Amino acid sequence: MQSTSNQKFVLPENLAIRIENLSISYKINVESKKTLKNALMRASRGERIRTRTVEAVKNLTLDIAHGSVVGIVGANGAGKSTLMRSIAGILPPTTGRIAVNGRISTLLALGVGFNQALSGRDNIILGGLAAGMSRAEIDSQTDAIAQFADLPEGFIDMPVRTYSNGMYSRVAFSVAVNMTPDILLLDEALSAGDAAFKEKSFNRMRQLCAEARTILIVSHALSSVNELCDQAIWLHKGQMLASGKPEDITEQYLKFLNVGKLPSSYEDL
Amino acid sequence: MIEGSNKIQVFEPHRSSLPPLKPYISEFWRRREFATELSKFSDKAEYLESKLGKVWLVLNPLFLAVIYYLLVTIIQGRSTQTNSFTILCHILIGLFTFYFAQNCILLGAQSITSGGRLILNQAFPRSLLPLSSAISAARQFLPTLPVYILIVLIGKLVFNDEALPGLTWNYLLIPFIFILLALTSFGLSLLFATMNVYFRDTTKLLSYIMRIWLYASPVLWQPDMLTGWYRIILYLNPLGPILSANSRIWIDGLTPTAPQLLACSFWAFGSILLGGYFFISRERDFAIHI
Repeated sequence: MQSTSNQKFVLPENLAIRIENLSISYKINVESKKTLKNALMRASRGERIRTRTVEAVKNLTLDIAHGSVVGIVGANGAGKSTLMRSIAGILPPTTGRIAVNGRISTLLALGVGFNQALSGRDNIILGGLAAGMSRAEIDSQTDAIAQFADLPEGFIDMPVRTYSNGMYSRVAFSVAVNMTPDILLLDEALSAGDAAFKEKSFNRMRQLCAEARTILIVSHALSSVNELCDQAIWLHKGQMLASGKPEDITEQYLKFLNVGKLPSSYEDL
Repeated sequence: MIEGSNKIQVFEPHRSSLPPLKPYISEFWRRREFATELSKFSDKAEYLESKLGKVWLVLNPLFLAVIYYLLVTIIQGRSTQTNSFTILCHILIGLFTFYFAQNCILLGAQSITSGGRLILNQAFPRSLLPLSSAISAARQFLPTLPVYILIVLIGKLVFNDEALPGLTWNYLLIPFIFILLALTSFGLSLLFATMNVYFRDTTKLLSYIMRIWLYASPVLWQPDMLTGWYRIILYLNPLGPILSANSRIWIDGLTPTAPQLLACSFWAFGSILLGGYFFISRERDFAIHI
């Protein structure tokens, strides 16, 4: 695990995640190509590397209780994905602290660990292992995951490169939600599959909540946030502008975006 | 209140250049199955559509060894039939062994940048990716050993070659030398994998470096050819002492010399410590630079 402190830490029993004064900033290279050749050329001219500091998350404090479904909304570049990655332990905080109680499952980039030449079944095994499951655990769940993905007959044993985008997303989503996680982090993963699969996914997430598991969803599909979540936060340029009931937050966000309450406004903003 | 339970993970800013090593190593060990399975699946995907499949792993260095052997004998001039066969065996075992190190370093160097999406999605000790590459390199290397032994046996029968040893207890040292070689190669792969995150042309440069490295190593020439101060070249090369010791066991049937063993151990532990420190101290920032 990244940046894991080995000190003893006390977390109230009802909390799944506690975020204290979290700020994340990092330097990005402005140079077009990060190559040894460019670095040597720069050094020969006596120039220093040009970087820009990005403050992705600014002084965020948040408690998330076990069993809650939290929607995170915000425009592109608001820091939503950075926040999710820092909760997963992928990106280290610059200041502040994140405490997480439970096993985390992530779907932050679709098709992660997926090898196009391998079958869906092989990729389920790879995806599960990447997420920290043992081979025995995965073997006991492979059929259930394959069944949940609901691919056309025989496709599960065919190379992933023969899959449509929807089928590909469904396998990735099925791995993430079927690993019995304590905390599930989903970034733009609600659009996987058709309407029937979406309904099935929502039911699975409701089932996870009923089992007191915690879900964090980053989505531009505001109707899904309203339907699934019991709490929402609105991030803007790294800062949390509001948190509360999903309907209130998405309404404030829509007002901010100045796009009105058309049905289309609630999808993919 | 849940106090200090194993389930609670706390993520804080870096306080030191290295993360706490005990939890890191225990997580690395717990998730080793991911590295072995990733290696198996990567190999499966690589050779899925090749008709000769994994046979190429043996054929490729075998053909190269024959080509190098022809070049070396042409350059060196005429030699006796048995001497020629010994030279061929030296080149064969040297090339097979060097190929393990080369594959381990090249595959490992690419492992972080090519596993970018995995790194952006999951938190795990990143050194598992170069480890998976090292396992792949070992899986490619092991089938070459029976091929080598078969060639030696056929050669001994055909040429009645007394120069090559028969069965000797010194062969028991081969796994020990292989462990030192694996540590050296894995350590160097960690170093180059980190460099490749910051400078994306590292692997391109590395392919040229590996070619020069092959010529600078005792594969196409015998370690005894270097005398006096020139022998320093052998010890400055991280693979030099290991390849010399390897050849001494396989070709001469002798125990490696004390300076060879000392130099092998120095490079093995030096590489793993330097590469490990360089990699682990920077791996928390890989997700930013990928």
